[in-house]
Amino acid sequence: MKVRQWLLIGLVWTLGACLAPQSVLAAGKVEITWWHAMSGNNGKVVDGIVKDFNAAHPGIELKALYTGNYPETMTKYITAYRAKTAPNLVQAYEVGTQQMLSSGAIVPVYQIPGMVGEKWDWAQYVIPITHYYSTAGNLWSMPFNSSTAMLYYNKDLFAKAGLDPNKPPTTWEELEADGKKLLQTGAVKHVLSFGWPGWVLEQSFATHNQLFANHENGRSGLATKVLFNGAFGNMVLNTWTRLAKEGIFIYGGPEYSANSAFESGQIAMLIQSTSSLKGIEKGSQFKVGTTFLPRFEGYPRGNSVIGGASLWVTKGQSKEQLRAVWAFLKYLAGTNIAVDWHKGTGYFPAVNSAVQALLAEGWFTQDQNYLTAFLQVLSGRRDTAAATGVRMGPFVQIRELERTAIEKSVSGQLSPKAALDEAARKADQLLADFAQMNH
Amino acid sequence: MANVVEEERFPGHPLLPYALILPSVAVIVVFLVVPFLQSVEQSFFATTAFGTKTLFVGLRNYTRLFAAEDFRASALATLLFSAFVMVIGLSFSLAVAHLLNQKIRGQGFYQVALIWTYALSPAVAGAIWALMFAPATGIVPFVVGKLFGGYLLNWMANGSLALLVVSVAATWKMLGYNIVFFLAGLQNIPEEFVDAARVDGAGPWRTFWDITFPMLSPTTTFLLFVNMIYAFFQVFGLIDIMTHGGPGDATNILIYKLYRDAFLYLDAGTASAESCIVFVVISVAAIIQLHYATRKAIYAR
Repeated sequence: MKVRQWLLIGLVWTLGACLAPQSVLAAGKVEITWWHAMSGNNGKVVDGIVKDFNAAHPGIELKALYTGNYPETMTKYITAYRAKTAPNLVQAYEVGTQQMLSSGAIVPVYQIPGMVGEKWDWAQYVIPITHYYSTAGNLWSMPFNSSTAMLYYNKDLFAKAGLDPNKPPTTWEELEADGKKLLQTGAVKHVLSFGWPGWVLEQSFATHNQLFANHENGRSGLATKVLFNGAFGNMVLNTWTRLAKEGIFIYGGPEYSANSAFESGQIAMLIQSTSSLKGIEKGSQFKVGTTFLPRFEGYPRGNSVIGGASLWVTKGQSKEQLRAVWAFLKYLAGTNIAVDWHKGTGYFPAVNSAVQALLAEGWFTQDQNYLTAFLQVLSGRRDTAAATGVRMGPFVQIRELERTAIEKSVSGQLSPKAALDEAARKADQLLADFAQMNH
Repeated sequence: MANVVEEERFPGHPLLPYALILPSVAVIVVFLVVPFLQSVEQSFFATTAFGTKTLFVGLRNYTRLFAAEDFRASALATLLFSAFVMVIGLSFSLAVAHLLNQKIRGQGFYQVALIWTYALSPAVAGAIWALMFAPATGIVPFVVGKLFGGYLLNWMANGSLALLVVSVAATWKMLGYNIVFFLAGLQNIPEEFVDAARVDGAGPWRTFWDITFPMLSPTTTFLLFVNMIYAFFQVFGLIDIMTHGGPGDATNILIYKLYRDAFLYLDAGTASAESCIVFVVISVAAIIQLHYATRKAIYAR
């Protein structure tokens, strides 16, 4: 009995001794943690960046941790923040932006250089991206992975239907005409589908410089009312519903579920995030073409909206930790890092120098499709809130409401107007609740 | 006298039994009772996601839920879904178990083949069905398209159809479990009873309804209860992988809606109110079921 007890105690001590060296090693280094939502291929690229950063900064130990997809990471961050165990840095998706701004949990990145006694040139970042994450001209979170939406089309099917494969539709009118031709020639049974349907609706507003919510798209103050059920929104959804009745548009489900229909050649066009480009080119046996989002004629020009995620810095860190976090954020702005990030993932590089480097090395001439997204976002206007994109507290729910409205309208369950009004009524209630809690 | 006998079970250590069950009670209190009471409390509050502000709203979370068409639709979907899993699932399982109980060649093979679905995790089962029914690439839409002509991308964009597919998948997943229990129940029925009924001139149908089915009632009661719990709570993984609650909230059953409100929409108040409602519904259903069924169940040998 005695012997066994001693054995047990010995075992515990040995275990403790095995664990101890780690903390000894970490001593003398500033340890910072970063929670992110990048898995699969993107996760590997992140791991590579972190490894290189740690190698280049002997005084810092950055620990990057995949904490689940965007909503999961957000939930974990909130739970940890409330338990005072939040990581130093966290990646939050674009629809969570207002939640983060209202949280009182973060240090705006524009204040960090001043806090650590440095100066930083904010003009080196790509403007439509920084605008998206800025409030009153100041950047609150660091751009990390940004994408936008574009139109993908199947060049082989276009040729089969007697259309010019190098002349994709630029307006919804042309898209409808091309669609009819694709149907008549029997090239496909349906023509067009969307990924992220709610986001595509938001894109339509921004590319035509239309406000999606009041208070300057929620950028001059908290949004309290959505505007998507106005004349413009009705016109958009009427068009989509008409296309659905004609068999041109087919609803393909949320997020990325429509991709497989496009990749297998069952539809000829797809509006989807630019971040799908790599997967679609790999998964398709035909020539993939890309172009700007189709326009509604007679409406002003805006810009396509940024999607993806950005990095937020937790408040209340020690000076050393903040300095280490800042070192990492600066590191991400390095030209080579941003170039590799783009090549590895397909997301935009966030700094202008990287865009120039990519142009200089001829990256885009190898594959024009990578250029489409850039040209679209860089050629749009950047001086209005409508073109910058909407910001709402309960954005996650409202985007789902938009999707439901689109589903109900294109399936004929409700008229476009009734579907939009229903969604707007629910969205306004959510906005009122958010404003009540966060004024 | 009975008291004296019980006290003597641990002579000289009157507190020992309590000390022994203390760990279990502590675990239940810490991980079940306290969180439950917390969510009851939370259901009367509205809180910001980061907990920066908490507002007492009384019954507002509840009144809004009952007024909201989404919640009623979700409750209806849950009822249809669990009714399917319980009624169709159990009937089919019983039929299969009955067939498996016959003396046939390769009985062992059939038994294993029909039971193994239970060994799958909900995530794997969900992935299998999602792949089978994938609108553009799945085998089922392909076959249906070939049989009836036309390409049906909207297979999973149709709400009622999606609910049916998810219900079938959930039933299939539970089949193995149900069959094991029914089979055990069937094998426990003494053959004399069945033989006696046959001698009295009862056909197989009559024998089943008058002898087998009543004698199975303890198993059936138990399985009804387990399947109800399964349909309400344990299908989360299946729904999450197959439909995300869509299309248009058609498969947004209560447990999935609760998850979305709490973890996607960060609305703790509403989610707590929902969990309290689900708790009440399940408790009432369980009490009715146990009360009614235990009275009817025949436990005689």
